[in-house]
Amino acid sequence: MLSIENLHAHYGLSHVLQGVSLQAGPGEVVGLFGRNGVGKTTILKSVAGWVPASSGAIRFGGVDLAGRTPDAIARLGLGLVPEDRRIFPGLSVEENLRLGLLQCPGRARRENEQAIGQAFARFPRLAERRRQLGTTLSGGEQQMLAMARVMVGTAKLLLIDEPTEGLAPMIVDEIFAIITELKRAGLTILLVEQNIHRALDVADRFYAVERGRITLHGEAASPADRARLMEMVAV
Amino acid sequence: MADLIDYLQFVLAPQALNGLSLGVAVVLMALGLTIIFGLLDVINMAHGEFYAVGAFLALTLAGLGVGFWALLVLVPLLMLPIGWLAERWLIARVFHSRDRHILTLLLTFGLGMIMEDLLKLVYGPNTQRPENPIEGGTEILGMFLPNYRLFLIGFGLALIAAVWLVVFRTGLGAMVRAAAFDKDMASSLGVPVRRVYAGTFAFGVALAGLSGVLLAPIYSVFPTMGRDFILMAFTVVIVGGMGSIQGAVVAGLLLTQVQALSSLYISPVWSDPLVFGIMVLVLMVRPQGLFGRLGHA
Repeated sequence: MLSIENLHAHYGLSHVLQGVSLQAGPGEVVGLFGRNGVGKTTILKSVAGWVPASSGAIRFGGVDLAGRTPDAIARLGLGLVPEDRRIFPGLSVEENLRLGLLQCPGRARRENEQAIGQAFARFPRLAERRRQLGTTLSGGEQQMLAMARVMVGTAKLLLIDEPTEGLAPMIVDEIFAIITELKRAGLTILLVEQNIHRALDVADRFYAVERGRITLHGEAASPADRARLMEMVAV
Repeated sequence: MADLIDYLQFVLAPQALNGLSLGVAVVLMALGLTIIFGLLDVINMAHGEFYAVGAFLALTLAGLGVGFWALLVLVPLLMLPIGWLAERWLIARVFHSRDRHILTLLLTFGLGMIMEDLLKLVYGPNTQRPENPIEGGTEILGMFLPNYRLFLIGFGLALIAAVWLVVFRTGLGAMVRAAAFDKDMASSLGVPVRRVYAGTFAFGVALAGLSGVLLAPIYSVFPTMGRDFILMAFTVVIVGGMGSIQGAVVAGLLLTQVQALSSLYISPVWSDPLVFGIMVLVLMVRPQGLFGRLGHA
């Protein structure tokens, strides 16, 4: 589904990604772990088309993503739930949600409305607040909106970046419940998350990132792999 | 008491209405400017020349026998591809460079100079007066008002309302506002940002061209006609808040009233310093302008 080979990326002079290779198969949830500033978010941004690769290749469903704009990549079926959720402040909850429909411009209106209806049924708090500005929602609600926004489209691969950061434990449970639902629905997910234990419960495999390189990968279900991961990321 | 009513009816009200017809036209110009700035972060220095091109296009087409009502549709439609190509071929080339502000400013400034000189080459420097498309006047409350000005006010206000509806009440408008606030995120949701940019620029240019059609019968047509007007439009955009649609409407209508009514009491020479003085004051007290930018809460 997603294959990254020997990816290098720069921010100005700083060499942020130094040869990252990773794979995510169809329906797999893959965790991406590591300390702050090691390049996890940059990996996601490269896949989404925000950060150009200096060298290396990113393939999504067999398509080379080099030179494609973020909107073209989104229409290939990539959904992004970014760090800090990035809800549009001047837009209502419903307007924010409906933007997710642009991922599938050819889809029938009836199907679009059905998808919006399903999202509001799944997240009744968003339905209650549909006319409010998106940024007047609580942090947890904004996270739900950011996830609902990619769920109304036709994404096959989701990139989810620190979805539980700064949220109350009850909301964290809710977020992981959603991720589990998305996994059951057959989506491939690349998940960056500081809450490693919770993430490993839903993940199939994981990669650990250090200073722009993948330094470890393993099976989420393997106690030996988990132990090595903990040893690596523990400060 | 009777004197006061006479004064209101025969002096103040007609002047306020004159100001309103100018105000509506200024708002149409300022709307294009502020929408382009709000979305693209580009100050379109060629906006006044696009306005002139619209007026000359109307003049030429009218010479070919196209009626005024058809011009109101045809000229903006013809301006759309001009604006689209200007964005795709010129602005998009320097858009991602680090000096975007200064480069796009210089680029559009140069483009405006070229357009102005092309108009001089094709039409000559002289002033042309199009026929008044709606002759006659109407008496309202004892005031005699030219029909064309009444039409301009009604049509302009309807157009402003239509622009507002498109930007704030449609999916297309939501796309533009989203891209104005966070281009990357909008793009990753599938908003075709490049086309939205080109389309928005084209839309602003079409609005400028339409203002040219509407104002040609009142202010006549000459290659540098954009210059006088664009200063006022820029002032309106600055006072209203760069990139704010509400701001352009409110500031446009207010400042033109200041200009129109002040000229009753002080020499008209002083009405420009007064208007620009207000701009300076606003910049000192509230530099972000009266309202917030497009796409921002």
